[in-house]
Amino acid sequence: MARKYAVRNIRLCTKDCLCLYVCPSGATDTENSIIDVDKCIGCGDCADACPSGAISMVPEFYPDQQEVEDDVVQSMRKLTRSKSEQERIASGLSGKLAVAIEKSNHIMAEELLRESGYLLPQSDNTKQFLQSLLDKPQPEGFPSQTVEMLLEKYEKYQEEKSMDEKSTTLDNLMAAFTGESEANRKYTAYAKKAAKDGYVNAAKLFRAAADAETIHALKHFEVAGKVGTTAENLKDGVEGETFEYTSMYPPYVEQAEAEGNKAAALTFTYAMKAEEVHAGLYQEALDNLDKEEEEINYYLCPVCGNIEKTRPDKCWICNAPGEKFIEY
Amino acid sequence: MAKYVCTVCGYIYDGSDGPWEDLPESWECPLCGAAKSEFELLEEAPSDVKPVSESKDPVEFKEDQGNLTSLEMSALCSNLAQGLEKQYMAMEAEGFRELASYFKKVTAPAEDPAYSKMLDLLETDLNEDFPRANAVAGEAEDRGALRALVWTEKVSRIVKSLLNRYEKEGESLVEDKDVYVCTICGFIYIGDQLPEVCPVCKVPNWKFEMVEAR
Repeated sequence: MARKYAVRNIRLCTKDCLCLYVCPSGATDTENSIIDVDKCIGCGDCADACPSGAISMVPEFYPDQQEVEDDVVQSMRKLTRSKSEQERIASGLSGKLAVAIEKSNHIMAEELLRESGYLLPQSDNTKQFLQSLLDKPQPEGFPSQTVEMLLEKYEKYQEEKSMDEKSTTLDNLMAAFTGESEANRKYTAYAKKAAKDGYVNAAKLFRAAADAETIHALKHFEVAGKVGTTAENLKDGVEGETFEYTSMYPPYVEQAEAEGNKAAALTFTYAMKAEEVHAGLYQEALDNLDKEEEEINYYLCPVCGNIEKTRPDKCWICNAPGEKFIEY
Repeated sequence: MAKYVCTVCGYIYDGSDGPWEDLPESWECPLCGAAKSEFELLEEAPSDVKPVSESKDPVEFKEDQGNLTSLEMSALCSNLAQGLEKQYMAMEAEGFRELASYFKKVTAPAEDPAYSKMLDLLETDLNEDFPRANAVAGEAEDRGALRALVWTEKVSRIVKSLLNRYEKEGESLVEDKDVYVCTICGFIYIGDQLPEVCPVCKVPNWKFEMVEAR
């Protein structure tokens, strides 16, 4: 669900309608001018495009309201009582002035209560207030169904907000995992380059930093709860590799060939073929996981990433000689 | 020449209509309509340093007094409805509106309502409860509460001015005149030249609502 969604202030809308053109989900085009919350994906393109500032992005969940000290609440409540009493007196008087004073006092009472802990409608104070209405006997005609509806809405909001907060940290862990993993590979590439050019110290530093990023990545991944049982992990391996060789790489190869980028086409092809081998090996390991088996040695092609269970004469994918394969 | 500032809207009288002392008591603020008595000498210390020490004693409600009255609950619910409207939560806003009307409807009418009773309450508000609340909120550095107090205190002064004038002028104060209430802060304007923005809360005047007699 979107964390933010677009809303249109109809009074500011000058009907320049750019929002209709930029909206990727059709949420802005409705018969009542209210942006369709269910369709809005929260991208913010309409708010950015609107020339009259009529569209703003509203968060789905609000931060907790500021605490109000008890003695502030009490002194404001004393004034609220007086304003409400003046409203009551004015409502018993006729004439325009009395009507105006009645309204004015009602607005002042609202204002004072707002700053006495009732600013955010979605707060514990509101919940307690609604609950207290249900807890005590109420006369006939009391709209208890409305109170129940409001309480249900509040509970649902809190539940979704807390789920959202949890998922935010989970998202952050996985984003950090991705970033750290990328940094590891990047520094490894830089270390290789530095070593080749004879910069021994820079090469060492890049290798150390690359290992440091691995430490971070592994910890983030673990805390995110992504390491399952070995059977689960093998299954995940099959799925990941299968996705890469069936869905991800084929269009990459095609695109690289169309652009005439031979180096990219080759590295994609090597990876695509190797991932298919990996998927097969993972599946085999999964099938035999709990069977008694002799220890297997795996041989990795250092050029294309192919893996074999016996050392081959040469790599079937990239023709690299068998003696270069690394044993595991 | 001494200048005087309106404590409601901040309008400064610079003496262009003659010395302050010569202005009649019926003179009113040209911007917000506050009475002459709501002005203070500009050189004087600003009003927010006037809280008296004893006024900081905590407020204590006796027994059940702490519970909200039905009319307070009405204001609470209409306030929450406004908040939800701002958040575009139509269904929840409607629910709180319904509760606000309910609580207003079940409020017992005041016994022997009189303008003078409102003035009595306003005296206590302005002389005791606003200074105390300002001091307490100031000490707590609660600027949200202070903001609400600034607005409501100014509006209270306007209401007091109007009630005082009503005592002298009677219905002629509002007869054949338009009366407006600012829907944001409760400021009351009588006349046909609405200020561009509310002199108290500075909202544009299309947020004012014209009042009809019952």
